[in-house]
Amino acid sequence: MKYLLLAVVVVTLALPPLLPEKQLAVYILLGLAATVTAGVSLLMGYAGQVSLGQAAFYAIGAYAAGLLSVHGVPSLIGLLLAPVIAAVAAVLLGAPLLRLRGHHLAFATLAVQLILLSLLGQGTWAGGAIGLQGIPRLSGLKDDIGYAYVVWAVLAIVLLISRNVVASRAGRALRAAATSETAAAASGVPVGGYRLAVFALSAAFAGLAGGVYAFYLGYLAPGSFPVLLSIEFVVMAVVGGLGTIAGPVVGAAVIVLLVQFLNELGTQPGMPSYAPSVLSYAVYALLLIVAVRYMPKGIVPTARRLASRSSRAAASPSAELLEERA
Amino acid sequence: MSDFLGYVLTGLGIGAGFALVGSGLVAIYRVTGVVNFAQGAFAVIAAMLTSSLLTAGLPHVLSESLAVVVAAVVGVLVGVVAIGKPGTDPGTSLIVTLGLGVFAYAVEIVLWGDQPRSFPGLSGVATIGGARIQAHYLLIIAVTVPVFAALALFFTRTDLGKALSACASNKYAARVVGIDVRRMGLLAFALGGALGGLAGVLTTPVQQVTFDSDVTLIVNGFAAAVLGGLTRPAVALAGGLLLGVTQTLIAGYGGGAYQLEVALLLMLTVMIVQAARTGPVREAAR
Repeated sequence: MKYLLLAVVVVTLALPPLLPEKQLAVYILLGLAATVTAGVSLLMGYAGQVSLGQAAFYAIGAYAAGLLSVHGVPSLIGLLLAPVIAAVAAVLLGAPLLRLRGHHLAFATLAVQLILLSLLGQGTWAGGAIGLQGIPRLSGLKDDIGYAYVVWAVLAIVLLISRNVVASRAGRALRAAATSETAAAASGVPVGGYRLAVFALSAAFAGLAGGVYAFYLGYLAPGSFPVLLSIEFVVMAVVGGLGTIAGPVVGAAVIVLLVQFLNELGTQPGMPSYAPSVLSYAVYALLLIVAVRYMPKGIVPTARRLASRSSRAAASPSAELLEERA
Repeated sequence: MSDFLGYVLTGLGIGAGFALVGSGLVAIYRVTGVVNFAQGAFAVIAAMLTSSLLTAGLPHVLSESLAVVVAAVVGVLVGVVAIGKPGTDPGTSLIVTLGLGVFAYAVEIVLWGDQPRSFPGLSGVATIGGARIQAHYLLIIAVTVPVFAALALFFTRTDLGKALSACASNKYAARVVGIDVRRMGLLAFALGGALGGLAGVLTTPVQQVTFDSDVTLIVNGFAAAVLGGLTRPAVALAGGLLLGVTQTLIAGYGGGAYQLEVALLLMLTVMIVQAARTGPVREAAR
C-alpha cells in the first residue's frame, strides 16, 4: 500500500513537464475537481448528507479570490482568503440549513446555488452575466506547469487534512452520527456542531480549489458554475467511494479522463455538433446509476476488498470463507 | 386594480403548472418514499414530444394526450430503475433518479436538439373584470382544477387509489392484506410521469422549454409540494398557486429579476420552520 502511494506521488509529480499544453489543462482541472470532491466525499460519507450545491462554494471561493485581486489585494492573500470566505459562508448558511436532512437538504443546497448564480448574474459588482475579467495570475507563476504543481500541493494538503479528520476523535464521532444520530447524541457527540464543522471544511476545500481556478483561468462567469457541476462532484464522490481518502481522486480521475476521451471522440469530423455534450451527460448518468446499483461502496473500497480477498485466499484458502461468514 | 387581477390570474396559471409537477412528486413520494429528481424531465419530454407531433400534423388534444401517455410510460421506466431492485433505500433511489434526470438530457438533445422549443396553445386574449390576460392561462387553470378533483376522488373512492394510499400509510400492513407494494410503486411512478407530462404540455405554450428547464420545474414543484410535507396533493395545489401568484406579483411590481430568489427563499423558510417544529429527525427503525 505504501509503495503504491509512493508510486502515485512520483508519477504525478513527474508528469506535468512531460504533458503537452492541452493535457496539462486536463491535469489541472482534474486536480481541482478532486479537491472539491474530497470535501463532498467527507460530507456524504462522514456526515451522511447529500449536497447538490457544492459548486456554490467553488464559485464563492473563485469570486472571492478574483474580486480581491481585481481590487488590488496581493494574489497570494486572495488565494489564502478564498477558503476562509467559503467556510464562513458555509457556517452562515449551514446554521439554518443543516437542520434539514436527506432530500430536504439536497434541495436546500440546490436552492442556495440557484440563488447565488442568479445574484452573481445580476450583480454588476461581480461582472454580471458577462463575467469577471482581468484577474491577474498568481504572483510568480508565469506558465501552466507552475499551476499544475500548485494544484498538486493543494490536493495533497486537502487529502492530508481529510485523513487526519477521519482518524480523529471528531471523525469517529461523525461516523457514529451518520449511522444513528440519536445514538451518537445520546453518547455525548455534539452532532450539530460537528456536522456544521464538516460542512464548513468541505466548503473550504471547494473555496480553495475555486481560488486556484480563478487565478488559473483569469476569467469567471456564473455560467462556469452550473448546477450540473455540483452533480458532477456528487458523481465523482459516489463512483470513487464515499468516505475514503483515495476515493475522490480515483473518482475524479476516472470521470474527467473518460469525459475528456469522449470529448475527443465527439469532436471528430463526421460527428454531430451535439455529440460531446450528449456523450458526457450519458457518461455521468450511467456511471452514477451503475455505481449506486452495483457497486454502492464505490471503486476504491470494492477494489480494496477484492485485493485483500485474493491475497488472503492465496495465503490460506479458508480465510475467504471466514470473511464470508463474518 | 385590473393590473392586480391580471397578475393574480396569470400567477394562478403558472402556479397550476408548479402544482402539477409538485403533485407528481407527491404521488411518487407517498407510495415509495422516493423524491423523484427526474420529475422535471417528464414535463420536458412531454413538451418536446408535443411540439414534434404538432409539427408532424397531428391535431391538438390528440398530440398532447399522446405526449402525456408517453410521459407516463417514461415514468414507469424511471420507476423500474429507481425502485425495481428490492431493498433499495429511498436515499439511494434519490441518487438514481438524479442520474436518470441527467441521462434524460442526453436523450432529449439527441432527439430534439439543445434549442428552446415551444408550440402554440390557446390563442386570444380574455378580458375578466377589466384585466386582459392570455386565454391560455385560463385553459391551464381549467384543466388543472378538474385533474386535482379527479385525483382526490381516485385516492379516496377507487380500490386502486385506496391500495396506493394503503402503501403510503403502512407498507408492511399493505403487503399483509395482499397488495403488491412494488407494483403500486410503479403505478405511482406512472401517475407521477403523467402529471409531470401534463404540466409540461400545458405550460409550454406560455413558457418555452429547453432540455435543462427541468431544474427550474423540479425546484418550483418541490417548493409547492414541500408545504404539505410532500404527502398531501391538495396542499401541493395550494402551494403551487401561492408560489405562482407570488412570483407574478413580484415580477409585475418591478422585482422581475428576483422572482426565482423569492420562490426559493420561501421554500427554504418553509422547510426550516417545518424542521424546527417537528424537532429532531425521526429515524427509521432498523
